Amino acid sequence: MIEPNAKIGVLGAGTMGAGIAQVSAQAGLETLVYDVSQEFIDKGLGRIRGFLKRSRERGKLTAEQEEQIIARLSSSLKLEDFGGCGLIIEAVPEKLELKREVFKKLDSICGPETLLATNTSSFSVTAIAGATRKPERVLGMHFFNPPPLMALVEVIEGDRTSAATMDKATSTVREMGKTPVRAKDTPGFIVNRIARPFYNEALRILGDGDATVETIDRIMKGAGGFPMGPFELMDLIGNDVNFAATESLYLSFFHDPRFRPSPIQQRMVLAGNLGRKTGRGFYTYGAK
Amino acid sequence: MAQNSVIIIGKNRLAQEMLELSEAGGFEARIYPDAYAVAASSSLIIETYARDEAEKGEIIKRLDAQFPTSVIVTSCLGFSATRIASWTTRPERVVGFATFYPFKEKKVIELTPGLKTQEHALQEAETFFRALGKEPVRVKDAPGLIFPRILSLIINEAARSLDEGVARAEEIDVAMRLGVNYPSGPLRWGDQIGLDEVLAVLEGLRQETGDDRYRPAPLLKKMVLTGWLGESNGRGFYEHT
Repeated sequence: MIEPNAKIGVLGAGTMGAGIAQVSAQAGLETLVYDVSQEFIDKGLGRIRGFLKRSRERGKLTAEQEEQIIARLSSSLKLEDFGGCGLIIEAVPEKLELKREVFKKLDSICGPETLLATNTSSFSVTAIAGATRKPERVLGMHFFNPPPLMALVEVIEGDRTSAATMDKATSTVREMGKTPVRAKDTPGFIVNRIARPFYNEALRILGDGDATVETIDRIMKGAGGFPMGPFELMDLIGNDVNFAATESLYLSFFHDPRFRPSPIQQRMVLAGNLGRKTGRGFYTYGAK
Repeated sequence: MAQNSVIIIGKNRLAQEMLELSEAGGFEARIYPDAYAVAASSSLIIETYARDEAEKGEIIKRLDAQFPTSVIVTSCLGFSATRIASWTTRPERVVGFATFYPFKEKKVIELTPGLKTQEHALQEAETFFRALGKEPVRVKDAPGLIFPRILSLIINEAARSLDEGVARAEEIDVAMRLGVNYPSGPLRWGDQIGLDEVLAVLEGLRQETGDDRYRPAPLLKKMVLTGWLGESNGRGFYEHT
């Protein structure tokens, strides 16, 4: 574990960053949130407050607990303020150059004991660690959306991540009340890679005209026991997000046909039929 | 004996389940390990072999000769129904089905016609599965149809990840249950189904489509060659005692 009472830094107050900060603060850890503008920070902290309020209203939190969690959250617009953190989890936008730049800065700001984790889902942890002089303390901590509700965290070992870093990060994930699984730094890690055929093969079957969207979903639930059919799930995740994940794996494996993206889904993304969030995807939703 | 009777061919767990479900559904059901042992007659035959073209081909040809008018409902995990029907002299009465063990807890059964299959044969298969309490769903003909096809690819990718050292078996399974809410981890699921059946689907798809995306993980092939098939014989991705 990292030093007791050490602060957790979370970079980025978007959906993932705010969610991770909430998990950390709920687990009793002092948590410092960074973003590039006060507006983003206010929005992220506002989202956490809204989540906690709903939890209290449903009787899952007392008013006192809610206050304590909020009191553990602080924020800063300056990366320099993160030097004393025991662990920093980066959740800035998925751009490799941006992430490398952030890690390079953190490397010079933070003492040698600070663990530097990236929440990336599509880039190599080793590539991000390469921007630092001390890649031994760099690792991946891949949370799932939404972090407060999803139990899993993939703890990713880059090529040069030390065993001590992996051990400390794994126990910190447990301390946050999550279930860690360790994986090597490979494209898609565990979940995004192995889940690919659930979406991609369903799209292939649809494209081949073997069955309709409704039939495939019905079979995967009724014969497979999956909680959602692949098309319902792609609409929930967002076809843009799902297509980007497939494309990223396809490129990372140098065009291996196992990960070949579907022209059907590409066309839907280009047309703006992204799923529930736009009212139309494989199914139609609401009155949008 | 022509009405409400069924003959089941196979010595696997799926055949055993079909027997029990048929009896519970009011059918006079008989089970035989292969086509040579059959000592009864019925208008409906359920044939459950997934793999090995020579072995399955021989069973189908034998059934074709012995029962010229019966509807043959055959497992199309490893071959398209059209391919299986092409081994017979009367392809119009051949219907494909695909499911994985355990079949008992599944609500839906997938059925497919071959190119020449007649409507009455499909309807007879549907009536049979409805009597067993299952919802038949028709799809187009391809090895493994839909659920076994998609799940086999997931298990294949999990086997590759394991073989490449991405993570340990337990961690892969926990990750898929918690990260995407799968009802079972894919490696444990493969052990439950039988890895030979999973391999049959992958090899069948590769053969029918010629597409490299279906190439089986080397580890999966080695395990089947070694006889590590999963729960049924004590060893698969996990030890089963």
